[in-house]
Amino acid sequence: MKAALFVTSRYAGPASQTEWPVPCDTYSTERAERSMQRTLEQFRMGDEFGFDWVTCAEHHFAPMSMTPNPMVMAAALVNVVKRAKIAILGPDIPILNPVRVAEELAMVDTLSGGRVIVGLMRGSANEYVTYNINPSESRARFEEAFHIIKMAWTEPQPFAWQGRYFEFRSICIWPRPQQQPHPPIYMSTASPEAGEFAAKNHLGAGFAFTTLQIATQAARRYREYCGVYGWEPTPEHVIYRLGMHMAESDEQAIEDLTSVGGGQPAVGLSMRNKAVESAVAASGYYGRDIETQRARLQSRGEVASRIEKGQVLVGTPETVLKQVKRIRDELGAGVLDLSLAAQLGDKTLRSIELFGTKVLPRMHEL
Amino acid sequence: MSSEQAIINEAGSAARFSRKSVDIDGIGLRYREAGAGAPLVCLHGGGGLRLSRAHGILAEHHRVIALAIPGFGETPADPRLATLADFATLLNRAVAALGLERYSLMGHGLGAGLALAMALARPDPVDAIVLIAPVAIRPTRPAGGKVGSDMLYVHPERHGAAEPLPASVAALQAETASLLFRAFEDEAFEAGLKALQVPVLSLFGTVDRVTPTDLARLYRTALPSSYIAMVYDAAHAIDAERPEAVASIAADFLARRERFIVSSDIGLINP
Repeated sequence: MKAALFVTSRYAGPASQTEWPVPCDTYSTERAERSMQRTLEQFRMGDEFGFDWVTCAEHHFAPMSMTPNPMVMAAALVNVVKRAKIAILGPDIPILNPVRVAEELAMVDTLSGGRVIVGLMRGSANEYVTYNINPSESRARFEEAFHIIKMAWTEPQPFAWQGRYFEFRSICIWPRPQQQPHPPIYMSTASPEAGEFAAKNHLGAGFAFTTLQIATQAARRYREYCGVYGWEPTPEHVIYRLGMHMAESDEQAIEDLTSVGGGQPAVGLSMRNKAVESAVAASGYYGRDIETQRARLQSRGEVASRIEKGQVLVGTPETVLKQVKRIRDELGAGVLDLSLAAQLGDKTLRSIELFGTKVLPRMHEL
Repeated sequence: MSSEQAIINEAGSAARFSRKSVDIDGIGLRYREAGAGAPLVCLHGGGGLRLSRAHGILAEHHRVIALAIPGFGETPADPRLATLADFATLLNRAVAALGLERYSLMGHGLGAGLALAMALARPDPVDAIVLIAPVAIRPTRPAGGKVGSDMLYVHPERHGAAEPLPASVAALQAETASLLFRAFEDEAFEAGLKALQVPVLSLFGTVDRVTPTDLARLYRTALPSSYIAMVYDAAHAIDAERPEAVASIAADFLARRERFIVSSDIGLINP
């Protein structure tokens, strides 16, 4: 198994935890700069302690994640992270210009010597407000944008694209991806529709902000679809994202995590603005499995219950290794994408070190 | 429903295609015509004359003339037509007989090859050429040869499936198509394309298994003034699958030719 270190680039300072968009009236440029430096330091440590990948993601208008363009963060990481793959999980392609996404990903892949892992996302419900895109078109825009990006990476001659949602008269990107024909591609496959699309297009599957039980069901469905389309995914085709905090004792790790609200915000980004969330839900954004999708986004609880649901790895190396094995056994994930409790200062750094030195070597043997 | 009514419905627009014919050396060449404006001469593919909504939309601003190639459907085969040049000469004479001084060509499948052959034989009056899922440059044929309706359409729900042809018509069409496919595999024809100065836009459907998007680059490099476009989510009958998408880029190319790569869309939202 492999492990990725996901650092969200959280703003370290007072800000609303219950609204979206989050007003900037408490914003401090100094704190923001320190937050960015801390983020880079956490990524650097992840590389130093042997994490296989480092991960960044796209979110907008919120202090939880100050990477509205994850490709910019990835470019900044090229010389900070010397060895690990740089996983961009990922751009929210229905709300973006897909040609620009193809260009930026190819650029970072070239800058990094071919270390980019790509996750193409639809984004959370609130992201559709960001650039004023109708969420009812989200899935169709995603699918078309995916095909544009792939063709922009692989077609050597200038071509026009006559789509439904996108129209371009001439596409011929430079640089090309360093990894030929293109970097590994994943997508979020929580919903049945996404599972089938990923299987049909030979993409990896990602599960995030969910429970082990829900992800296991979705992964089973994804593997069944892969069978229908005539191929069998490897464990590395499945990424599972969850929280992680380690300490010298289980009690200490739980206490640390509890002190920062369990390592997750009281209300997830998608659910903070009820008007936005309900409008997006009514648009059909969640697809045919809407109840499961909304329930997983609202899943909250005490640390103990989150451990039980497979939402977080917490404890000493021995304890965490058991939790890792359980995820491997139930879900069959080959990559765990670990989101830090980033605001614990030295304890966060110690947690990275403990995972890297005590858990990762044994995980690699699984 | 009359057959003419069926054609109008198929075309899906107000443009009314009337049935006509022109006689060239005793060959009664049948064609359908609608609209007014800059003439656009259309050549069908191996399945015979088939109008789509794209033709109807184009007829709103063009005089659209869709020829039935000898050996396909209503126009009989003729033993005097043995080479690509024979077909091109006959079709060019038909266009001249219709009084067209300047025109553009649009060809689907093997009709794309014929459109190129017509322009090679008589380039001066041709303003622009649009090729749809072209079968003109090697490798030309799909594996196995036969193009079933599952290869023509991935979205029959959008346009209705085409009526199956009578067996005798289908057999004659297949024979003529085969003759033309062989004729395209000709070095002199391909060499001639390299000198063709008429601007050409070639459209490929992203889910077309007959002429897949990988072939587009051949057209881009074989012709001096050549543009390729991928029509998303369309199989081989691209114009039936995505009529608005085909008509919109074709009309823009016919109107502006090479300059079509620069957008002329209005971006202003709230003046």
